[in-house]
Amino acid sequence: MRNAYLTYAAKRLVQAVVVILLAYVFTFVVVSILPGDPITNVLRNPQNGFTETEIEEIIAAQGLDKPVLVQLSTSLSNFLTGDLGLSMRTNRPVTTLIAEVLPSTLVLASAGLAVALVLALVIAYGTRFLPKRFGQGLLRDFPSLFLSVPNFVIGLVLIHAFGFQLGLFRVIQPDSFWATFFAAIALGIPISAQIAEVLIANLDHESEQEYAAVARSRGIGQMRLFAKHLLKPSSLPVVTVIALTIGELLGGSLITETVFGRNGIGSLVQRSVTTQDLPVLQAVVSLAAVVFVLVNLIADLVYPLLDPRVKLLGAPERRPAAADESSVNVSKVVTS
Amino acid sequence: MTERSSPLSLSRRRLLVTTAAAGAAAIFASTTSFTPALSADDPRKGGDITFLIDSLGDTWIPNNSAISSFQGHIWGHVTDKLVYVDADGKVSPWLAERWEQNDDATQFTLHLKSGVTFSDGTPLDASAVVANLDIWYAGRKSEGINPIGLFPKTYDHAETVDAATVKVFFKKPTLGFIPTLGYHGSILISPKTIAAPAAQQADLSKTSGSGPYVVDSWKEGDFVTLTRREDYNWGPAAVGHTGPAFLDTITYKLVSEPSLRVASVQSGQADIAYNASPQELQSLKEEGFTIATPRYLGFVNGWAINTKLAPYDDVKVRQALQASINRQEIIDTVYTSDWKLATSFIQSNVPGATDHGDLLTYDPAKAERLLDEAGWVKGADGIRTKDGKPLSLTLHSNPYLATSRSIDELIAQQLGKLGWKIDIRAYDVVTYGQKVTYGGPAVPAYEVTRSFIDAGTVASILTNANNGENWFALGESDAKLNELRDRIAGAGSVEIRNPLLDELQKYVLEQGYFIPRTQIVQRIYVQSPRLTGETYNGVAYASYYTATISD
Repeated sequence: MRNAYLTYAAKRLVQAVVVILLAYVFTFVVVSILPGDPITNVLRNPQNGFTETEIEEIIAAQGLDKPVLVQLSTSLSNFLTGDLGLSMRTNRPVTTLIAEVLPSTLVLASAGLAVALVLALVIAYGTRFLPKRFGQGLLRDFPSLFLSVPNFVIGLVLIHAFGFQLGLFRVIQPDSFWATFFAAIALGIPISAQIAEVLIANLDHESEQEYAAVARSRGIGQMRLFAKHLLKPSSLPVVTVIALTIGELLGGSLITETVFGRNGIGSLVQRSVTTQDLPVLQAVVSLAAVVFVLVNLIADLVYPLLDPRVKLLGAPERRPAAADESSVNVSKVVTS
Repeated sequence: MTERSSPLSLSRRRLLVTTAAAGAAAIFASTTSFTPALSADDPRKGGDITFLIDSLGDTWIPNNSAISSFQGHIWGHVTDKLVYVDADGKVSPWLAERWEQNDDATQFTLHLKSGVTFSDGTPLDASAVVANLDIWYAGRKSEGINPIGLFPKTYDHAETVDAATVKVFFKKPTLGFIPTLGYHGSILISPKTIAAPAAQQADLSKTSGSGPYVVDSWKEGDFVTLTRREDYNWGPAAVGHTGPAFLDTITYKLVSEPSLRVASVQSGQADIAYNASPQELQSLKEEGFTIATPRYLGFVNGWAINTKLAPYDDVKVRQALQASINRQEIIDTVYTSDWKLATSFIQSNVPGATDHGDLLTYDPAKAERLLDEAGWVKGADGIRTKDGKPLSLTLHSNPYLATSRSIDELIAQQLGKLGWKIDIRAYDVVTYGQKVTYGGPAVPAYEVTRSFIDAGTVASILTNANNGENWFALGESDAKLNELRDRIAGAGSVEIRNPLLDELQKYVLEQGYFIPRTQIVQRIYVQSPRLTGETYNGVAYASYYTATISD
């Protein structure tokens, strides 16, 4: 089993390297075919008063007049040696720029995911066990509601209510505890909807199973039934959803960071996209590819721990396959 | 940082009381004159302010960033200049105590203030000034350090006469040299910083200036905190104070959402919000906030007309366009009374600007008559045509001016009534830079928003001589414009130059080469009434060097 884990992880790592390189080249191609670059955009602003001759000299000095393929091969060879280069916009090392903003985004994304999980669990629990008079039916509509409200609207409402009206946090200190907490709520609410939807569907399915009926007939309390018996088998597809929402956490962080004035990966990407800062964009896209691959790898490796019926592709059979009707390949995990 | 009172209990009544108290404090502070030195127990000393800004620009390499509309705020506090140019364009001594020039304005001698040091301890002497002049002119292009685009391209070289005297030589008469020393880009940086590689210069904390504040901490795209330099004692006399600054710290914090910037000042969480929407200003004033809309020295907001493109090759059509715009309506509808009518194609606070408001009067009857004379006949649909072609005008809204699109839409209505067919196109900054150029094949009118410090540079921009920008696509075809350009460029004194500038303004407006819209305000400040005493220079940057804050 351990060897299978290692083989599987190694295969995925090779795939990851290919994906990252492709992402790097793809970003280069997409950004290069757009007109302009951060240097010439600044030089051509008439307010700056450069002559055409000066602009051409500066462009040549920066190597921006070289053929795209030459630029790509230089960039790629630097990347392969671990040199992410200098940001064209700020003239600072790309690694420094990312290192400065990454912690803030990691804190926000983790907090956002935690908020999403807690909300999803509360909603899922409520839809099963909340007395009808307390709005059990209404709770089932929450995911749709959460998904339909853009998170920048949620963010602005939270800032005005808790920042300006109640004064719980200062907008100019976006990294304070309360500011981070409310930013995490704004980021977490739409994500909680997706998790809650899957969790509710699976809880519905699991609570109709015989073992649940047996548990109930034994007089097990609601909370214990939920936490001990229903939650674990229902959470396998949730792992898949969480892995998929990593992209939304990163994308959502762009908007949330902008609204809350946080300086994270999202706002760095925003500044780099608007100025076509190619080296930063290539590095961030590659980083995102790494994160995606890693998170999906972790999700795959977590499945067998949650459900022993799930086996890794290529793992040695403990029992004859015919006898193990419930075994499932990770690539074909049942999600509902 | 000083904590503000909790906004938790900030009721409207409390806000009013606070505002009234702060207003009284402001009046008290404004009646108190500045003293040249600042004693340790000066009650005005102390306090921290937060300035909310919509961007912190891109690179911090001084040469590449000093012209930035955002970073200029920070440079204004961290660095000094050789001369000071106030909001009315008046040039006065700063680190250059005095200067002389030869008769044809090709040689200048600068006499420097002594005892001035950069924050890294290096003396600001003649050799430091020569190092700065050289890098402003040439940059280090191979390293990615650009020259200062607007520094006179006629610069030849500079040499030290002694530790406090610099002699500067130009290839041609350059009367605008001295005012240019007070412009955005002409910030004095320590020679040690200048010698550093680009990547090191891009780290703001490693840059040393001689200004009243030094960089305490900063984070790219997030904030810059400045702290007072205690040994500073060489401020510009023109602002009434030369000693150390009063405020302990100034923090520039990026908040990109405009409504949050203003709401933060309203709730007492910050002290200044930059670039508020013009529509909000009246109500903010009524709430007791200080609103500043300083005008920079430069061109008014308006169109440079492409005279190569029909029908704007016809002077009557251009003159009709000049008379078809109701400029007062633009101010009444899009702006507030803080904005001023254009009286020339340069802002009225520029020394040398003259009032030609009579040429810019809204006169629809005159416009209709001129169009009739030019052969443009109004059809049943209200559009004028000639030889089967409609009288069309394509406008490209300027992405650097937030209100540009609204003004275009209003003007489209005004011109539509007189028979024009208007097409408005809005591009992002990158596409705009690629597609919209002066005299471009599909650009009948280029919208100008541009500052300059000396009107003497104007004439040479308008034509294509000496790398000029040929704004009206006239090339060398207009003999009178060329003659005025040459005489202005060669003028050795303002007494000779001013009548020529007056003639130039009248001629350009009469010919309909430039169609002004309004005088421009590109920097809008919403400020807490507790903060007083700030100054605005010739490029409309706020300086808090002389500012104080009350409790």
